[in-house]
Amino acid sequence: MNFAASGVERVIRVRAQKDQLVLVRRFVEEVAREASLDAEKAFDLKVAVCEACANAVEHGCEGSGFVEIRALLGHRRLTLVVTDSGCFRPPSYCDGPLPKRGLGLPLMVALMDEVVFTRSPAGGTQVSLSLALEQ
Amino acid sequence: MSDIVVENREGMPLISIRGEIDQSNAHELEQALGHTLRVGSRFVLLDVSRLTYMDSAGLSVLLAATRQLRGSGWLGVVNPNSDLYRLFELVGLTADPGFRVFEGSSALADAQAAITEVLGW
Repeated sequence: MNFAASGVERVIRVRAQKDQLVLVRRFVEEVAREASLDAEKAFDLKVAVCEACANAVEHGCEGSGFVEIRALLGHRRLTLVVTDSGCFRPPSYCDGPLPKRGLGLPLMVALMDEVVFTRSPAGGTQVSLSLALEQ
Repeated sequence: MSDIVVENREGMPLISIRGEIDQSNAHELEQALGHTLRVGSRFVLLDVSRLTYMDSAGLSVLLAATRQLRGSGWLGVVNPNSDLYRLFELVGLTADPGFRVFEGSSALADAQAAITEVLGW
């Protein structure tokens, strides 16, 4: 069955380490191609997903866990769900005027049509990033 | 994942980045920029024509450098692709007086001419 058929999923699971972000980008590029996103939307999705993964790596579980990225292509909607085993924390402004990761969340919100944060009862965090697809 | 080359073009520091900048390697860009700022450069050129990806980690480095150069000079970005340009706009870099964008086939020459004009050479 093709990913382009409604309701089909694709999944990648990577170690929660910075050097794995490149693998996440290649995965998102593949998903974007299969969902026939235009180049601009594909780039935005890549940035948003990588920001969510970078948060998972930095605040969640660097070195000790995994991050899972699940792509769901539904009716006129593409959603990528980033799940980690740690706990999302807002950027800290204590260590200088310009936090390294302070831009991640605003970028996700600006680039996506919908961003949803969910804390799972088991202790992990899920970030769901959605784009509305043109007909 | 990325190559960063720092050179001196007629007295102006030119940093060329190729590839992708993310959280894993943004510190390399930070080091290259930090070095040129420490030696007192007021104008720094950043050739991003072969940079295909940058996220918040790299953008934060550019914002910090822009903030530092604002008032006395600027960070001049050369030939960003349209995706990178949108990100620069989104985070407010393109509206910052400490940040300039040079585009087109004469971008590098234009940037150097702009610096020469300010310095009165």
